[in-house]
Amino acid sequence: MPLADAVPNPYHPSLMRIQDYTDETADVRTLKLQFVDDAEAGEFTGWEPGQFGQFTVFGAGESVFALANAPWRPNGDRDLAPTIECTFRMVGKVTSALRAMSKGQVIGFRGPYGNHFPVDDWKGRHLVFIGGGIGMAALRSAMLDVINRKSEFGDIVILNGARSVADMVYSDEMPSWEQVDGVEVVRTVDPGGETEDWDGQVGLLPNVFEGLGLDPENRIVIACGPPIMLHYLFLSLGKVGYSPEQVVTTLENKMKCGIGHCGRCYVGPFSVCRDGPVVTWAELNQLPEDY
Amino acid sequence: MTEAIVTVKHGQAGSAPEGWRPHIVALVCNWCSYAGADMAGTTRLEYPANVRMLRFPCTGRMSPLMILRAFEQGADGVLVSGCHPGDCHYVQGNLVARRRFTIFRSLMDFIGIDLKRLHFAWVSAAEGHKWAKVVGEVTAAVQEAGPLPAFEHPEGWDGLDLPAMAGSGPQELEQKQLDAICGNLRKAASEVLSTGRASVVVGYGQGTLAGQTRPVFITDADACDTLVWGQGCRNNLSTYVASELEGRERVAVVAKTCDLGAISGLIREGQIRRDQVLVIGVQCPGVIDGSALATKCLSCSGDPHPICDLVVTVDGVQESCEDPSRAALDTPDARDEQIAYLESLPHGERWKYWQRQFARCLRCYACRAACPMCYCSSCIAEKHRPQWVPTSIDNPGNSTWNIIRAVHLAGRCSGCDECARVCPADIRLDLINRKLALEVEKQYGKVGLDPEEKSALVDFRMEDSEEFIL
Amino acid sequence: MKSVKGSSWKLTEAQLREWLRGLLEENHVVAPVEEDGVVLFRRIASADDAIVEASGKTRWSPKEFLFPRTEALYRYTFAGGAVQIEDPPVPEKHQVLFAVRSCDASGLVRLDEIFLSGTKDLLYAARRENTSVVTAACAAADPECFCTAVGYSPVGEEGSDVQLVPLDGVWLLRALTDKGQALVGDGGEGWKKATAADGKTLPAIEKKVAGQIDRGPVNQEWSQVLEDGFEHGAWDRLAQHCLGCSVCAYVCPSCSCFDMNHQGNAWCGEQCRSWDACTFPLFTHHASGHNPRATKQQRYRQRVLHKFAFREEGDQPFRCVGCGRCVAQCPAGLDIVNTVAAAVEAMREEGVDAAG
Repeated sequence: MPLADAVPNPYHPSLMRIQDYTDETADVRTLKLQFVDDAEAGEFTGWEPGQFGQFTVFGAGESVFALANAPWRPNGDRDLAPTIECTFRMVGKVTSALRAMSKGQVIGFRGPYGNHFPVDDWKGRHLVFIGGGIGMAALRSAMLDVINRKSEFGDIVILNGARSVADMVYSDEMPSWEQVDGVEVVRTVDPGGETEDWDGQVGLLPNVFEGLGLDPENRIVIACGPPIMLHYLFLSLGKVGYSPEQVVTTLENKMKCGIGHCGRCYVGPFSVCRDGPVVTWAELNQLPEDY
Repeated sequence: MTEAIVTVKHGQAGSAPEGWRPHIVALVCNWCSYAGADMAGTTRLEYPANVRMLRFPCTGRMSPLMILRAFEQGADGVLVSGCHPGDCHYVQGNLVARRRFTIFRSLMDFIGIDLKRLHFAWVSAAEGHKWAKVVGEVTAAVQEAGPLPAFEHPEGWDGLDLPAMAGSGPQELEQKQLDAICGNLRKAASEVLSTGRASVVVGYGQGTLAGQTRPVFITDADACDTLVWGQGCRNNLSTYVASELEGRERVAVVAKTCDLGAISGLIREGQIRRDQVLVIGVQCPGVIDGSALATKCLSCSGDPHPICDLVVTVDGVQESCEDPSRAALDTPDARDEQIAYLESLPHGERWKYWQRQFARCLRCYACRAACPMCYCSSCIAEKHRPQWVPTSIDNPGNSTWNIIRAVHLAGRCSGCDECARVCPADIRLDLINRKLALEVEKQYGKVGLDPEEKSALVDFRMEDSEEFIL
Repeated sequence: MKSVKGSSWKLTEAQLREWLRGLLEENHVVAPVEEDGVVLFRRIASADDAIVEASGKTRWSPKEFLFPRTEALYRYTFAGGAVQIEDPPVPEKHQVLFAVRSCDASGLVRLDEIFLSGTKDLLYAARRENTSVVTAACAAADPECFCTAVGYSPVGEEGSDVQLVPLDGVWLLRALTDKGQALVGDGGEGWKKATAADGKTLPAIEKKVAGQIDRGPVNQEWSQVLEDGFEHGAWDRLAQHCLGCSVCAYVCPSCSCFDMNHQGNAWCGEQCRSWDACTFPLFTHHASGHNPRATKQQRYRQRVLHKFAFREEGDQPFRCVGCGRCVAQCPAGLDIVNTVAAAVEAMREEGVDAAG
C-alpha cells in the first residue's frame, strides 16, 4: 500500500553508496558517501555546518554522525553530485558493522537534522576551533567552510587534541588546512600520549589553549569534545575573559529519531536533535546539567 | 534464501497444508553430535533434509534462549544433541545442560508447546546411524505436530476459568494485635539502630492509597515510629539490601516469611554476606492483593521463621538463631491445583491461555525490578550484540522474555510472588515460577533456606534423570 | 477547546448499545473489555463486549491505538546488492475509541503535541486522522485519581469528538466536533433531544468528583521551583524506593518515548519502534559509556520534571493528566503528586523559590 502523499515517512532513509573511506586511526574512519538514487541526489537541498544525520546499517541499526565535509549547497547547475562525509568511531553494534563495510556497499541516511553553526555571524571575527578527539568531526564542516572562504573571517586557529598520537584524527588533512594563509593548526596530545618524534604540544586541551594566549577580543571559540573536557575548557575560557556568548559548542546525546519525538535526547525542555545540537555556552548555562 | 524470516507465518497446529514440511533447527555440539552427523553423511545414510544445524562447542553452551529464538524465528521443531554423559569434551558441560534441558522442557510443555516439537539426544561422533535415526524420528514427530501455532493473542477465544484456590491463610489478627506487633517492631528497629547493630532499617512506611505501604529507609533510631505493619506490607524488601549496603556494614531488613527465601538466595549467590544483613522477622497477617488475601498467603502460617536474627510477634521480640539447615520452608501451595488443571488441558488450550497472557505484557520489566533474585547489572534483555530477546512488544518477544526469565530463576525463585503482584497486566507469573519450582523439586529435591546448599541448576549428578533424552 | 455546537441527545442504555452496533458496521471500534480480570481497551467484535460505566478506568490508557507498543517504520530487503525499502501500509479503516475517559483523551492530545509538531510522524498522523474519540465522563473518582488537582477535569472536552455523560441511568450524548457529528448524524431510533438543563449538569459533576480527590493540587508556579531546585538533595531521598521499571511510563496516557531498533538479519528486516521509558538505565546511555542519568534518582527527577516542569510556556497544561494510574500501580508505592509537593516544600525551605 503506498504512502499517504501529504506526509512522507520521516524514517524512510535515502540510500547512499560508500564511494571511499579514510582510516583516521585504528578505530576511527571517515566515509565518503553519494546518493544511490539520482533523483534523490537531485532533490537534496544540502546542509549547513553543525547539522547531523542518522546513518543506517541495514540489519544492525542507526547511528548519529555529524555531517563532516564542507557543506554541500545546491548550486545552480547541479553538476556537482552531493557528497556526504561522516567520521565515526567503532564503539558499538552499529559502528562495528559499519566499519566492516566496503566500498560500493549501501547504507541509509536520514537528515540533515538539527540547527547549525551561525557561520555568517562569525564574519570578520577571529575563530578558534577546539576539538577533543572525535569531537573534531563535529567541527570539520564549519572549519572547512570558513577555510574555503577565509577572506571573510579573521585569524583561524585550530586546536586538535587527542589522547595520543595514534588517536589523532585528520592527521593527513591538517597540512592542507595550514597551507591557507591565516590558518594556524596546533596539535596536542595528553601527557603520556606523545611519541619520541612528536613535534606537537603535550598537555590537556584547556591548558594548551590557555598557553596560546589568544586575546578574547573579537574572537569566537567553537569547541567540541567529551563533557569533561568541555567542563574544564569553559572554566579556562571564563578565566581568560571569554563571555559565554563568545563560546559555541555542539552537544552530543543519545539520539534515535532525530526529529524530537522519541524523547531520548532531552536536556530539560531542550531537545538536542531538534533545538540543537549547536548551543552557545550562555544557552547551555540555562539548561540543567543533564548531559 | 531471501524469504522474509521476520514475517514467518505460523499456522494453527494440525492445519498443515498439502505438501507442508517442517522447518527444524538442530543445536549440536561440535565434538560429538556434529561429528556424528558428519559420519552419517560420509556413510551416505539417507535421512530427511528438513534440519538446519547450528554448531556449538558444547551442550553446556546452549541456552534455552537459543531454542526459544529458533521457535520465535519460524522453526516448527528443535532438536538438541550432544555428547553422552561422561563423554563431554569439556568434562561436565552436558551434565549441567541435562538439568537445564529437563526444566526447560517441562516449562515448554506447560505453556503449550507440544513436546513432539522439542527433542534432546545424545549422539556420539561414532553414531552416524543413530543421528540419521534420530533425525528421522524427530522429523516425523514434528510433521505430525504440524506447523507451530502462531505467537499471537487468540482472538475470539473465551478464556479459561482456573479452579478457585484453596487455603485459609494465616491466623487472623485483630487490629490491636497488629498494633502490638507494630509497637514491638518499632522498638526492635530503634534498638537495632541505637546499638549500632545495623546502620539502616529497611521497613514499611505509610503509603498514600488506603491499605498500601511503601518501603522506608530509616537511619535515625528516633524515627522508627514511621514503621507500619499490616496487610499492606507487600514488598519484598530484600530487593533493597544490596544497594543499601553501599558504604555500610550492615543493613537490617523487615521480612515476612515469604521474603526469607530471597535473602537466603542472595547470600547463597554471593550478592551479600550473612553478616551484612540483620533479618527482622515479623508475625504476618497475610497481605492483601487487590481485594483478597494474596495467593501465596493461602498456605502460609504467617509465623516468622527461626532463621531470622530477631523475631517480632504479638508477645514481643526474641533473638533467634536456630540452625538454618533445619529450616526448610514447608509450604503446600495453593497454586498447585491450578497448575494441575492447566496440565490436564490439551496443548492447544494451554498455548492459547499463555499467549493471551503474554499478549498483555507491556515489557515494563516490573517483574524483573521487583524480583530480589533478578540482580544482574546487565540483563539478558538488554544485550544487543546479539539481541537475544526481541525488543518488540508483541507475542513472540513477550513470550521469549517471560519464558527466559522463568528459566533464569529456576531453582532460585524464592516464591515471593512479587513479580505477579507488580505486573500491571496481571500475568500469572506466579504459576510459571511455581511450576518450575515443582519440577526442580521433583527432579532434584528441595533447597531450603541454608545458603550453603547449592541451588539445583548449578549442580549435577551423574545419575540425574534423562528418560526423555533419545 | 471551545465546544462546537453539535447535537445533544439523551440515550437509554439500550440505545447506546444500538448506536455502538451501528458504529461497528463501518468502523473498527476499540472499547474497554474485561480479560482475565483486567479491564483494558481492545478492538471489540460485539457491542455487548464493551464496558461503558459511570466511572472507573482501564488498567492502562488507550494510547496504543494511536501509538502502538511496537510497529514497523519501514521494511528493508536486500536483493542482488541493492536495498529495497518499503513503507508500512497506512491504516484505511476508521477507528472509534469508545468510552475513553477525559484524562486519557487529554493524554492523546499531549501525544499529538509530540508526534504532529515539527516533523510530522506519518504513521501517527494517518492513524490520528482515521480515529474518532468518544469519551465517557466520570461521575466518580477512583482512589488514585487527581485530574482536577493538575488542571484537568472529569468532564473535560479536550480530545473528545463525542462526549457521553452519565445522568441517572441515561447517557447525555454531546457531539463536540465535526468528526463527532459525523458519528451521530441525525440521531438514532427514539433518541430524545437533550435539554439545556441537561447540559448544565456538567459543572455539578465536576465539583462532586473534585471533592472526592484528596491529593494535590499542583500549582502552576511549582514548575519553576522544581526546575530551580534541580540539584536539590530532595531528589535523592524521594526516589530511594523506586525500582527502576517502567510501569508508570507505560500505563501513562501521555508518555510517548520510544526506542528504534532493527529487527531482522542481513537479508531482510524491519526498522521497528517500541515503547521505551526514561526510567530505564540504558535510556540515555551513550555507546562511549557515558550516561547523563546514571542514577535512579536522576532518572526519576527527569520523569517528574518532564511531567510537571520543562514547559515551553508557563501556562501550558502539565503533561501529567492526573489519571493516577502510576500511583495505583507503582510496585514501590511512589506517588508522583506527593513527590512533587514534598520536593517543592523542601526546596522552598532552602530558599529555592520562583518568587525569590
